[in-house]
Amino acid sequence: MDHEISTAKFAGIRTPFRQIMTAMQAVLIKDVRSELRTRYAINALILFAAGAVVAVSLGIGFFGLRRDADSLRIQAVLLWIALLFAALNGLSRSFVHEEETRTLASLRLAAPPLAVYLGKFWFNLALLLVLDTVTTLLFVMFVRVQVANIPLFVSLLAAGSLCLATATTILAAVIAKASFKNTLFAVLAFPLLAPTLIVAIEGTATALGGGSWSEGFSALRTLLAYAVATFVASLFLFRFVWEA
Amino acid sequence: MTSIRLELQDVAAGYGARVVFYGITLSLRQGETLVVAGANGSGKSTFLRLLCGLQAPTRGNVFYDWNDARYDPRDAGSLIGWVAPDLALYRELTGSENLRFFAAVRGLALHNEQIDELLAYVGLGGRGDDWVASYSSGMTHRMRYAYALMHKPPVLLLDEPTVTFDERGVELVERVVQTQRQRGITVIATNDARELRFADYVLTLGGV
Amino acid sequence: MALRISQIAKLIIGVWIASVIVSMFLVLPQYEGLGNAGRIMIMHVPTAWVSVLAFAVSALYSGLYLRRGRSSDDDKALAAAESGFLFTLLATITGMIFSQVVWGVYWNWDPRQTSIFVLLLIYAALFALRAAIDDPDRRRQLSAVYSLFAFVTVPFLFFIAPRITDSTLHPNCVFIQGSTCEGIVLQEGNIGLLGDRKVQLLAIDRQGDTITAEVNVSEPGLRDEALLQPTFNLAAGERDIAPEFPGLRFRLVLEEVDLDAGRVRLNIEAPGTGLLDNQRTLITFIASNIGFTALFIWMFQIRATLLGAQWALERREGALP
Repeated sequence: MDHEISTAKFAGIRTPFRQIMTAMQAVLIKDVRSELRTRYAINALILFAAGAVVAVSLGIGFFGLRRDADSLRIQAVLLWIALLFAALNGLSRSFVHEEETRTLASLRLAAPPLAVYLGKFWFNLALLLVLDTVTTLLFVMFVRVQVANIPLFVSLLAAGSLCLATATTILAAVIAKASFKNTLFAVLAFPLLAPTLIVAIEGTATALGGGSWSEGFSALRTLLAYAVATFVASLFLFRFVWEA
Repeated sequence: MTSIRLELQDVAAGYGARVVFYGITLSLRQGETLVVAGANGSGKSTFLRLLCGLQAPTRGNVFYDWNDARYDPRDAGSLIGWVAPDLALYRELTGSENLRFFAAVRGLALHNEQIDELLAYVGLGGRGDDWVASYSSGMTHRMRYAYALMHKPPVLLLDEPTVTFDERGVELVERVVQTQRQRGITVIATNDARELRFADYVLTLGGV
Repeated sequence: MALRISQIAKLIIGVWIASVIVSMFLVLPQYEGLGNAGRIMIMHVPTAWVSVLAFAVSALYSGLYLRRGRSSDDDKALAAAESGFLFTLLATITGMIFSQVVWGVYWNWDPRQTSIFVLLLIYAALFALRAAIDDPDRRRQLSAVYSLFAFVTVPFLFFIAPRITDSTLHPNCVFIQGSTCEGIVLQEGNIGLLGDRKVQLLAIDRQGDTITAEVNVSEPGLRDEALLQPTFNLAAGERDIAPEFPGLRFRLVLEEVDLDAGRVRLNIEAPGTGLLDNQRTLITFIASNIGFTALFIWMFQIRATLLGAQWALERREGALP
């Protein structure tokens, strides 16, 4: 499509910051309320994670009791595999649901794009924190994983989830407008998440084994840098996804 | 006195390489009503989607002049009210929750009484606490009017305005269109010959 | 006219790359320790460079598309991605052949192998996304967004990948986990770490112009020890004999010698390092880089023009007057 260059000067409607914050809050509350009534995403997330944990536990028993370096690493890998695939299964739901019930158009006419992005981002982050809590508890109970440095473990889990949310929220908006949505979501997200996954697994293994803060710090810093970069990129790019 | 103007310059639209219509140039001023007529598939809905920025023209320009500034339809959501059969609201929320949500994202602070008033205006008084999923198709269509009118937009775009409506619903459309005459511009896409009576201008699509 | 230029360009690039290939097999000297496998570097490095270049070009045109909305920009972004994908495959395959010959395995999850593997996945994802969207404008816009978004995450990959494996075998900067590319400086009698290997400099001997360092290397946990004797030639000002670490394909190199202070710099080196020190090799290498870059630009132009013509044809069939 070749737009002829318009000589007309367009005035974008500038939405004041406070209004965007109110709108963001409204989107978040609406999504939480819809979610509580339909359990559209949370069921997919939790059931997937629970299934993964039970399969691991049935397969290799109380693997968490083994404390050598290789076993700790495998525990970290298993935990992040469960989290990653549950997330790739559930995080696209909020946008896909809007597309499937055809509410995207009514939302697009009414809401500033930035508010939609931020609302969905916080919603996904909240979902992930629920997922983290449930999955970790299940791992501790069924696989008997012992966490030696709990604060470091929790911070890494939070930082990793932050990366998942910043990287996938905009991708969810992209795939909502394509066919084969769920498969495509995983295909698009995995290569972008690969670097964070590597760092998160390494850091988590350290935290499980009781590594100190200074050992986990570089992983934490890398994860936060990734989250900031993808978040800022999303803020710039979301508008184009929203208008596509 | 605020005033609104809609301008189309040599506009064409299509899907991919398929062209639906082309070469449309027109201008609408405050208080004018345009009726878009044409057979099924002639592009009436596409025309309205262009006007509300849900779709971009494949050629030409569409813009609004409002208060001495020029707006691309994509940025003009707050100027536009859009009613269409494929406009959907949140089925798992109640009628008033839907309206409160859309008011909030539009930056409007509506009181509960104003929400009730709006619901009563579109003929849904007393049904605001039911899920939209439980509404009949006529009631859902009334909800679309509440959605489109809450911010008193200077541009009102009605796609099939009376579809699924009973007698009382048709009266509602009548009232809405008359009110909009004072407020700004109305564009109606219809196949119903009775709705031609609203028209200051008629645009007949079809025949690419 | 444009056709003429394109024909001439095709001819020049063809002859250029043919001569690069000929000199790759006939002009290049054998590299000690690598045999004929070293020659593949003439193909491998330029294709790898072009893969990265193509990815950047694709992201650049994606950005331009979002800014200007011209379909020709999207055609260019797609053309760059398609040719880039081809070059990435070539770089991966040539790298795997080299890896098999020199390291004994096709795949090692070496940092660069990891990076290029993820790059392949990103290209594949981009094509999958394009295939999944029917509306052309929407397809262009969303794939442009994905391309730019992926471009933001790739630097992290290059930064993080070296942490995955315990060691890298890739020439030029070799390290065992924990070590750096700079190596270590030791004084006589000192003990230091080259990654997880403990190295002790026992003595520095001088015989004429040849300096020999007596180095005791022990594996982690002191499971095994070996005495290595890397040498340095003072007259030539360069390292001489570089013995292999016991059981590994990389070597211990004596990089610098400071006789007055009794200090030396020790480093690790993989087979293949220093390949470009030979003049003929260097010239062929540079020629190959230029040739492959030109080839990419030519393929990119042709493909973009073709995509543009295809779109124009579709539009004509769609009967836009």
